[in-house]
Amino acid sequence: METSKEQASTKYADFEEKVKKTIYIDQLSPQVTTPVIKAALAQCANVVNVEFIVNYTIPYDIPSAALVELDDEVQAKAAVELMTDFPFIIGGMPRPVKATYAKAEMFRDRPPCPGLKKDFRWIKQGDGEYETMKKLKNLAKKQESENMALIKNLLDEEKELAKQQQEALDGNGKKYEMLEAVMSNGTIRKLAHHYGVSLDD
Amino acid sequence: MDRSNKQIQFSWGKRRAKGGLKMDIRFYESFTLDNVKYSLYDCVYLFKHGDPEPYIGKIVKIWEQNQAKKVKILWFFLPDEIQKYLRGSVMEKEIFLASGDGIGLADINPLEAVAGKCTVICISKDERNRQPSPREQAMADYIFYRFFNVENCTLSDQLPDKIAGLEVKVLLNPKDELVISSPNTVNVPLNPNADDGLAATAPPPHSAVKEENESPDAAVPLSHPAAKEVDAKLPAAVALSQSVVNKDQKPVAAIPISESVIKKEDKKSVAAISLSQSAVKEEEKSVAAISLSQSAVKEEEKPVASTPHPRSAVVENNAKHTQSQNVHDGERPPKKLKLSQEATLKNMTPAVTETRPFELPSRQAERSKWFTFTWDDKVRRADEQGTLVYIQNLDIHFAAADIEELIDKALQLSCTAKPINHPTYDDPNNGKAYAIFKTKNDADVAISKINSGLVVGGRPLYCSKGLLKVPKSSGTFVGHLNLYNIKIGQKQREEQKKAVSTSHCSQPNTIEYDLALDWMLLRAKQEKKFQILHKRHKDDRKGFASIGSKGSKAGK
Repeated sequence: METSKEQASTKYADFEEKVKKTIYIDQLSPQVTTPVIKAALAQCANVVNVEFIVNYTIPYDIPSAALVELDDEVQAKAAVELMTDFPFIIGGMPRPVKATYAKAEMFRDRPPCPGLKKDFRWIKQGDGEYETMKKLKNLAKKQESENMALIKNLLDEEKELAKQQQEALDGNGKKYEMLEAVMSNGTIRKLAHHYGVSLDD
Repeated sequence: MDRSNKQIQFSWGKRRAKGGLKMDIRFYESFTLDNVKYSLYDCVYLFKHGDPEPYIGKIVKIWEQNQAKKVKILWFFLPDEIQKYLRGSVMEKEIFLASGDGIGLADINPLEAVAGKCTVICISKDERNRQPSPREQAMADYIFYRFFNVENCTLSDQLPDKIAGLEVKVLLNPKDELVISSPNTVNVPLNPNADDGLAATAPPPHSAVKEENESPDAAVPLSHPAAKEVDAKLPAAVALSQSVVNKDQKPVAAIPISESVIKKEDKKSVAAISLSQSAVKEEEKSVAAISLSQSAVKEEEKPVASTPHPRSAVVENNAKHTQSQNVHDGERPPKKLKLSQEATLKNMTPAVTETRPFELPSRQAERSKWFTFTWDDKVRRADEQGTLVYIQNLDIHFAAADIEELIDKALQLSCTAKPINHPTYDDPNNGKAYAIFKTKNDADVAISKINSGLVVGGRPLYCSKGLLKVPKSSGTFVGHLNLYNIKIGQKQREEQKKAVSTSHCSQPNTIEYDLALDWMLLRAKQEKKFQILHKRHKDDRKGFASIGSKGSKAGK
């Protein structure tokens, strides 16, 4: 039995090493793929592996996220810093990505943490604790729905911002276009003449 | 056995004569399956459902009858399959062509069983054989120069005149040098110790098997190191990446017992060569062998222990399993459990399999598409079958193995499970996981029991059936803005397209930067909100726990 415990701890130790080398990138466009991430990080880190997080629990359309394993911890630090310093727009559009260090619980395929308590009890109606446990369960459910509501709220906010920005962008675009059009088709000369303004200013 | 969700591409190649009693059979010279062209006398891999390792064979006939497409495959043997009859050393990548007449020479299979091409070069010095160049030999997946006669179970390096009614010449090297594509060569990490590797491979799996018998509890970690050794020493004949690819399939695993039981049943029912009638006889024998060794082991729970036994019986005279050995004595080793069975030992890592980082070459990808099921596929299938359970309120630090162990201890049910929290959005106080049970009934029982009052480490769990409805991510991304109505030239449009898929740092002097700042501000706010909410949740829970304990104390 000893060997199994040792085994488990060595496995977990290895896993922890891996965790240190891995960064978590969030707010990615669904169009971003592994080569894109590799190219993006090529400046400061060598990417060993990219694992995209599959969304199983959030019933909304959320941005992509990935766990990117690099060569070592130093690179991980450099990558995170790089991404926070420069709004490292992976995707060429304004929404910046977020990078943080990975944590053990982010990995779906993690080895069991040795020494984790896994005691369980059966509680039936009539037990003293039943009521409390029931309340706790309800609390958990309530918290869950609160969380979901927050997420929805946040996603809506994001949509709002995006809409705003799009409108601003469109507005600017139209303005520039108009300017260009006016410049190109000579209207501006007439206007200048009309206002008595010299064009060379 | 649903292999794929979409149709696999298929088309016939060159036709040949018609035949058959009613002239309803049409023979062909080639066909294309899943965009790979196979011709007569090509060497191919065939997978059998339930087996982690492919068989290697040569296509000797291709035809279609009554809408059914079939191929006749002349088999190659891997050294391990005929180990008992092997004398002397075995070359690296060596396999043996079946000859003679009888069971095990060739089989008829549905065409769809073909899972990929491989290159097998004949290096026999016979004058009928075109001698291969050294490069060909090095690049080939396998080589052969010896023949195994299935009638009298003997090895020979003399070319017989005919095999399976065909002139042996057509079975040897084709006239033109084979176009060997590199993907094939990737799959075999050549074993430098091929010669003694073979002898060496026997003991580690053997010891793994032995120890399994003695201490089922210890079996798991022990087999793991044994499996690791096997990993290193597997003779090149077994396409290693095949077994790796199938790792995801988890054919037989020690801890997730449900999986292994299912697979074992598959093996039992499909134990014989493949799908021909001649195999029926062996099916019974192999079933007998398995059940014999099962009784020897007396452990229903550890089928892994039992399935390698017929293997080891074939491999060596294991005194413990004389019964199963006798079954195989004097009989050509059935083409079912190969040394690659040991590969299943390797797959005994508990459901927490690390994903292999290397990119599978396209050929492998074809095969893996058919024969491995990723966790995501499994979840979807389980949902269809009603065996999927969504458990909540776990400790977020639990790993897959922890959850499975817990379910096993608490409910005496086995399952495969994985924690599925999303790192950004999910509440870290509430750990969630999907568990796939063996049967619908198991799943229902689990749900009712867990909901009725299972408390783990002070957290009452709750669960429900089935998959959460998660919308497929749309292609567009909120916040990715498009420049409106700009007439861009063709080149620029390309660049714009590329711009999405490339990355660049943004400088403070662009419009983008301002917009980006807006987003960062929003995000910072969001993170704060999450932090506050989750902290509040945590405090609430703690508060509850203390009330709870106080309450219970008061109650007592």
